[in-house]
Amino acid sequence: MAAQIHHLRCTFLPSFSTKNPSPDFKTHFRSFTVSASKPGTSSIAGRKLRAAVVGGGPAGSSAAEALAAGGIETFLFERNPPSVAKPCGGAIPLCMLQEFDIPLELIDRQVNRVKIFSPSNIAVDFGKTLKSHEFIAMLRREVLDSFLRSRAQSAGANLIVGLVTNLEVPTSPTSPYIVHYTAKNNSRRSIAVDVVIGADGANSRVAKSIDAGSYTCAIAFQERIKLPDEKMEYYENLAEMYVGSDVSPDFYAWVFPKCDHVAVGTGTVCLKQDIKSYQRGIRERVKPKINGGKVIKVEAHPIPEHPRPVRVRGRVALVGDAAGYVTKCSGEGIYFAAKSGRMCGNAVVKASEGGMKMVDESDLRREYLKEWDAKYISTFRFLDLLQRVFYGNNACREALVELCGDEYVQRMSFESYLYKKLADGDRWEDARMVTNTIGSLIRSMASSN
Amino acid sequence: MASFSPPTHFSTTSASYSKPHLIYKPFASLKSKNPFFLLSTLKASADNGVEASAATQVEPLLQAVSEPTSPPPASGNLDGSVGTNGSVAAAAEEAKALASFTFKDARWVNGIWDLKQFQKNGSTDWDAVIDAEARRRKWLEDNPESSSNEDPVVFDTSIIPWWAWMKRFHLPEAERLNGRAAMIGFFMAYVVDSLTGLGVVDQTNNFICKTLLFISVVGVLVIRKNEDIESIKKLLDEVTFYDKQWQATWEDDENSSSSRKE
Repeated sequence: MAAQIHHLRCTFLPSFSTKNPSPDFKTHFRSFTVSASKPGTSSIAGRKLRAAVVGGGPAGSSAAEALAAGGIETFLFERNPPSVAKPCGGAIPLCMLQEFDIPLELIDRQVNRVKIFSPSNIAVDFGKTLKSHEFIAMLRREVLDSFLRSRAQSAGANLIVGLVTNLEVPTSPTSPYIVHYTAKNNSRRSIAVDVVIGADGANSRVAKSIDAGSYTCAIAFQERIKLPDEKMEYYENLAEMYVGSDVSPDFYAWVFPKCDHVAVGTGTVCLKQDIKSYQRGIRERVKPKINGGKVIKVEAHPIPEHPRPVRVRGRVALVGDAAGYVTKCSGEGIYFAAKSGRMCGNAVVKASEGGMKMVDESDLRREYLKEWDAKYISTFRFLDLLQRVFYGNNACREALVELCGDEYVQRMSFESYLYKKLADGDRWEDARMVTNTIGSLIRSMASSN
Repeated sequence: MASFSPPTHFSTTSASYSKPHLIYKPFASLKSKNPFFLLSTLKASADNGVEASAATQVEPLLQAVSEPTSPPPASGNLDGSVGTNGSVAAAAEEAKALASFTFKDARWVNGIWDLKQFQKNGSTDWDAVIDAEARRRKWLEDNPESSSNEDPVVFDTSIIPWWAWMKRFHLPEAERLNGRAAMIGFFMAYVVDSLTGLGVVDQTNNFICKTLLFISVVGVLVIRKNEDIESIKKLLDEVTFYDKQWQATWEDDENSSSSRKE
């Protein structure tokens, strides 16, 4: 069937002949043919739209909550019991607390001081401009995930504890998707749904079922270390970042305080086999501050570096880590996972008009992908540029730390991170920041030769 | 434009000081817990680690510290990871032994360069300061040090005045580039004159000549070494790569519209 079937909506008629105004997308909405939508395929008589959300992390739970609140019959699949801790940095920005109504009791620590160390151990206090109510919230993933999951359940989603093994893709536009899963008692079951949202993380099974393509991953490795009390006090509300080729060739190493221990870790994309020596490197760099501590856990996890080649196919959409929504440079993923889950859920609700109508691929692209890309692609692009410029070699890292000493840079960085909005800055200060950037880079590159 | 090149393995400089014992250890054997193990973890040099293949790790061994009563490593599950955190007593011994590996310079005092020791003819010799800091950073690349709160690094490069940087780095390069531009200009003026009969004044009024002039100035500025030509070509690809990855999902739209599975 060459022609695409649309729901006839009058708002679309005028836009078919004109070029899409968004400058980012040159390949859109050019050759759509409008044909009458057959009533049989567009409304599902007598039942609500059924949706399956595979994966019960921040992305999956937010999607399930949005779907269930919108009146769609939702099934949320999660393989792990609520107590399993996911390897993660565990830091979320302020805007997530506000947008997702996360109660303050869940927060283990409020980090309001960040120190960045250059390869030659020049340290910069990065939180000088934070106001008293601003902080980075550190929480345990199991606590956050359970909270979001139970909120999704209260909204009406059906939580199914089991491992999704396969997704059967139908051949006709109205047949359902069959989700095969193994339930808690090892019985193999299956369920038929109309829409699937894949929120199952970096090794997504859903992505494999729809041939979404693969992406390059970084590996993040961390050790949780329990420190003696007086050393733990130093990390009361302080997080540290270390850059240098001894701790990571293309990323940074960190010391993040958690509920009663610190997480010391590092990550890399290009030299994954050397991750253990980088971990040793960061342990060396932090040594006086963690001496006497006890390693209580060692964990590692892949982190996607860029979105998958295909994020929506048929009536399946990918969100969160499964789609690859992790920023470069900072490696932040929790907020984008939750936000994309919610946006995708809302998209399905809107396109199906509250679960009354069937949706198709173009609905998902229009309501979810397009909105998401328009909103966040510049953020992702900018952070990619920062990573490429500043994490390449030691000279650039020294320049980065030098720049981070500037208060304007600190203010802009924190505001953009905490509120996910382009902070409104002074044009003169911006120009000064750009010239300082160029100057620092030139100076450190010159003196490193 | 070095900042835009893909991350390179940093070159391992042949050590100008001898590291006493270098032993290749198959990784599997590191799982054994013994006091020997404590010492071997102390100084893992990063550059050797980068070179090593997946199976082997290179670790310099410190001279054996006689600490028969050092408490067993107090870590939980080692799980093949080589980090053990010694107790405070062992740490003091390690710090003494490590002292030979930290950056030492008579002018580097308390985490900052003592400018009084850089005096030449009554004023500070900024070239020497820049050199000293560059040497310190290069040393640290090969021998990374722990950051400590007791003696933090407080040196701020902004104390070096801007004209020191200009004199040291910008002016020689500017001289070289201006020299190239002058040579090209004189030669091309002669050649164009002999071919077209236009003198210098007439060439400046001609649009084609002005365009050629612009191209040659930009070329002199941008292409400084032979390698630059290749890196400029790669630069454009690199800059747009991430964007292409994001747009990949939209490319699929046209290809699959006729044979789409729903």
